[in-house]
Amino acid sequence: MVYKVIHTTQYDYEEGVTFCHNMAILKPKNILGQRLISYDLQISPKPVEFSERVDFFGNTITRFSIQEHHKQLKVSAISKVDRNILLCPSIDDFEAAKNITLSESLELLKGVSDEILEARQFQLESVLIKNIDEKIKAYAEVSFKPDRSVYEASYELMQRIFKDFEFNTTFSNVATPISEVMKEKKGVCQDFAQIAIACLRSVKLPAKYVSGYIETLPPPGKEKLIGTDASHAWFSVYIPTFGWLDFDPTNNQIPKNQHIVVAWGRDYYDVAPLKGVLYSSGKSTLRVSVDIRPDGGYQQTQIKIPGSSSQQQQQQQ
Amino acid sequence: MTIDSNKLFKDYLSDIKNYDEVLKPNKEINQNWNTLLENISTIGDEKLKSLQSEIDWLMAENGVTYNVYNDPNGLNRPWNLNIIPFVINEDEWKEVERGIKQRAELLDLILKDIYGERKLIKNKILPPEVIYEHRGFLRHCDQIKYTTAKSLMIYSAEISRGPDGRMWVVNDRTQAPSGMGYALENRFTTSRIASELYNNINVKQPSAFFNDFNQMLIDAAPKDVENPNIVILTPGPHNETYFEHAYLSSLLGYPLVKGNDLIVRNGFVWMKSLDGLKKVDVILRRVDDVFVDPLELREDSYLGIAGLLEVVRNQNITVVNPVGSGVIENSGLVPFMNAICNYFFKEDLILPQIASWWCGQEKELNFVLKNIKNFVVKRIDRSNRESLFFCEFLSEVEIEVLKKEILKNPCRFVAQEKISFSSAPTYINGKLEPRKIVCRTFSIAKGNGYTVMPGGLVRVASERKELRVSNQRGGVSKDFWVISNELQTNIQQYTWNSSQNISVSDINDLPSNTAENLFWSGRYLGRALVTSRFIRMVLNNMNNEQYNSRKSESEILNYLYKAITNITSTFPGFVGEGSEKTLENPLKEIQSLILDENRIGSLAQTLNSFNNSYYSLRNLWSKDMWRVFDSIKKLWRNYNADEQPSIASLTKLLDRTVTRLIAFMGLIEESILVNQGLLLYFIGLQMEQATMNIAKCRSLIVFNYEEQLNYEILESLLSSHESLNIYRYSYRSYLSIDNVVNLVLLDKEYPKSLSYQLKRIEKDIERLPIPKGTLGFSKSLETIRVANKLIKNVDSITLLNLNEDKTLRNNLEDLLSELSDLLHETSLSISNTYFDHTYQQTQMVKQKIVI
Repeated sequence: MVYKVIHTTQYDYEEGVTFCHNMAILKPKNILGQRLISYDLQISPKPVEFSERVDFFGNTITRFSIQEHHKQLKVSAISKVDRNILLCPSIDDFEAAKNITLSESLELLKGVSDEILEARQFQLESVLIKNIDEKIKAYAEVSFKPDRSVYEASYELMQRIFKDFEFNTTFSNVATPISEVMKEKKGVCQDFAQIAIACLRSVKLPAKYVSGYIETLPPPGKEKLIGTDASHAWFSVYIPTFGWLDFDPTNNQIPKNQHIVVAWGRDYYDVAPLKGVLYSSGKSTLRVSVDIRPDGGYQQTQIKIPGSSSQQQQQQQ
Repeated sequence: MTIDSNKLFKDYLSDIKNYDEVLKPNKEINQNWNTLLENISTIGDEKLKSLQSEIDWLMAENGVTYNVYNDPNGLNRPWNLNIIPFVINEDEWKEVERGIKQRAELLDLILKDIYGERKLIKNKILPPEVIYEHRGFLRHCDQIKYTTAKSLMIYSAEISRGPDGRMWVVNDRTQAPSGMGYALENRFTTSRIASELYNNINVKQPSAFFNDFNQMLIDAAPKDVENPNIVILTPGPHNETYFEHAYLSSLLGYPLVKGNDLIVRNGFVWMKSLDGLKKVDVILRRVDDVFVDPLELREDSYLGIAGLLEVVRNQNITVVNPVGSGVIENSGLVPFMNAICNYFFKEDLILPQIASWWCGQEKELNFVLKNIKNFVVKRIDRSNRESLFFCEFLSEVEIEVLKKEILKNPCRFVAQEKISFSSAPTYINGKLEPRKIVCRTFSIAKGNGYTVMPGGLVRVASERKELRVSNQRGGVSKDFWVISNELQTNIQQYTWNSSQNISVSDINDLPSNTAENLFWSGRYLGRALVTSRFIRMVLNNMNNEQYNSRKSESEILNYLYKAITNITSTFPGFVGEGSEKTLENPLKEIQSLILDENRIGSLAQTLNSFNNSYYSLRNLWSKDMWRVFDSIKKLWRNYNADEQPSIASLTKLLDRTVTRLIAFMGLIEESILVNQGLLLYFIGLQMEQATMNIAKCRSLIVFNYEEQLNYEILESLLSSHESLNIYRYSYRSYLSIDNVVNLVLLDKEYPKSLSYQLKRIEKDIERLPIPKGTLGFSKSLETIRVANKLIKNVDSITLLNLNEDKTLRNNLEDLLSELSDLLHETSLSISNTYFDHTYQQTQMVKQKIVI
């Protein structure tokens, strides 16, 4: 399945900006089951400095600076991605891994193979997922029991979050602590992903934050999936002897061909799509739009988030 | 000498609880101390006491200070230096030095490995959590390559003597170790004041070390940079060791800058100077890792430079120590250090460390939990303060809380054996007490290895029983003597050729922040002086009124009160709404205008504002200036604001303030070179004085009064201007408005006249560099020239013409108001051109995320 994705971020500044430094993580990954056919990052005004590098987590970071005075910054990432999930191993073919229990997993995680060592860092707290409290642990322990399969428990955790949490675009922002999200039980996709990760880490399982896109054209007769018009996020859990397995708690499904992966990290902080430091004094307005559809033709929708810059955020839904 | 025979050592013996530096367990005196003890006993009780107070005095005089966070009285606390040095023999020191060098080499390799191949993790030498759970591990710095042979350029090991008599490593400091400057100042102070202590002792001197330090910074420059520009990056005057930042800036001759003095453009770091942008090649930073780049690290940081890390990656700047080096200030490394040492060097550690158990492994965790009372528990990423638990002193409840905390994130904790370190004689309240000490040593990269400062900074526990030794808690320090058997040369060189292009004595290279602070120092001082004099004059008039009750006395006072409000811009005050009520008790309002530091325009507030600029500039001030400045602060601190203020006490306060301000201003002029930025100070000062001059005239002589009142107003104006004598000398006549206006406003020769002041401002602005990109056009110069033309062409005859109803001098008012506007405009364009307000850093997405 070939998709074309256009992810546009636009800032309008009341006072104008003398110059800015930015970092973007917008380039879809080239991994098993996902081939990046083409990628183009269009920035206006034209940046003076522009460079790309691969970061600690293997994501592509683009760094650019704009030195001319501007009142509008527009960043469009245009990608063509061929997604074929059939190339990836399916957990259904690994009966043993599927049945591996929590206590067995924890025992295996004491190992020191390269893969285990790599996974172990995702057991730890991170910038946005820290102070994991008793409430989160208790919520996790409803599903995670020492003798229960990690796969089953993770699946159930995803289902419970989908059921228990209300999708609400006004409640949270990037800096809302997970304890607050847990208490109010509402938020957007990044909150759900981070709550799930907190739950997994509370029982010492390695969990990753995955950012990307989801194709939301509803199949005939079915409802449109949430997560369109913005970038998307979900979580991934490490199951020893199998590897990483993704779950999308916002849509209550294991990601297949409709999910396109851009970046992995410990939480949102590691993979923010666009951030920057700019030199200006005025207010700004942010617009984000994401269009994803099978290659050939697309229709554009926009959301506008007005208000002062302090209320702004790039929300992943 | 025997200990028993010496009065100073009266209780020393009985006080010793642990290993002591002087007394061996068999009560014999450690021979290394013999000569020093003899010298101490020759100096004698009385003299020792006076030398110690002389040291305390000199430290305060020189403004050697240390800021204590979270303590309202902790700003600029005087540095404490105990007269009795700590002594170590060269033979022992050589072994310690070897151990420190080995550890520096090792930590350098660890640092390179952590951000490079991570072989230590891959080869199972080091559990990954020791690194990944440490908040100082900055993933953004992964795989950065450096041009210098060593990544760890400056390393500070804290050492203490253990119960076995050997020196142990207690802590590693690797981010931006502080203390070198304090150590040097300690040495200067003891050798200056207590030279008798040195009799027959050969103390090794650190001058060569500082030479190496300077060379290291030069050599650290990126490839192909011939004469690198080096700056010292400070978080600012509120940082605990700001004194030292300014001290090193003066010592090494490199500009002291804050984050907003620097900017990243075109792939390089630039310093904003008066002359425009100057490329920077090396940053000696005293800002912590996570604050140095708000683009990639702490996004809400205003202490760093956005985009710095990318410039580092491209090897266009060298940051010393490199960003991310905080990860090896890591007590989690301790239990693995010997294995790492064997891995890299196939040898054991030379210096012992405190036995430590990292809680990230089950066996160690259980052992720690079981025996927790015997341990000191720390977080791996915090070496002092909050996260240090002396478990033997914790209650059962506290122990349970701590255990729970450990169990939640065991990888974050380390338990260390509690060790009693050695004590050394410390002069306290007239006698010597054994106090526990910690020595901070300093190593720097030199060639392919390291060189270690002979000596260092010794810190003493603040209480006899205190286990923690930290400056944060207000401790005492000692000079650190490495004693040689060979005669040491006393010639010490602390000056060297600096080859860099940015000069601290070239006006063009003045960092714009410094320039701005100098400008405002001038303005605040000018304002403080004029305000003090004016209010003092009014107080004198009030005093007269108490004895004479002539009608005009109270009438003139009403005018003067209004003038105070006008010139200090403290409306409504005596002028606006509610002024009748204020006038009922004028002294109360005047008292507030002097003392209320929360009131904008008050004298106290002006002095406070000056205070802030002053500390930001401390690398420029001379020692005399510290003394005078301190006397101003003391004067104000000691003025008892609670007591019912009287005209007399307030007058006295103002009298003294004026005298000291003038002394201070005199010192500024002789202590700082014009090209170091004195020019900016002058412009600020003249501009403020001219502005205040105009304000005084507008509120006093624009109106026309009846004759007696007129006379008294003119007299008050001249007296507040300190110009009464000059007037009498120049005109030898009754006070007339024409002559007064001539003297105060139009005289071209008299330095206190407006005309002179405006000309002077113009001349000074002419000397400022014209920033690149302005096509040679300077708006401030243009504006001040208009002002000068205006006053030059004044028609002195029509200037004083009265309006139709004979109440107002319209022409005078028009002239003054126009000049006032022009001055304001000049000031604004200086700010806009030179002080760089246009770059206000903000986050694209505002958030406060603590990493």
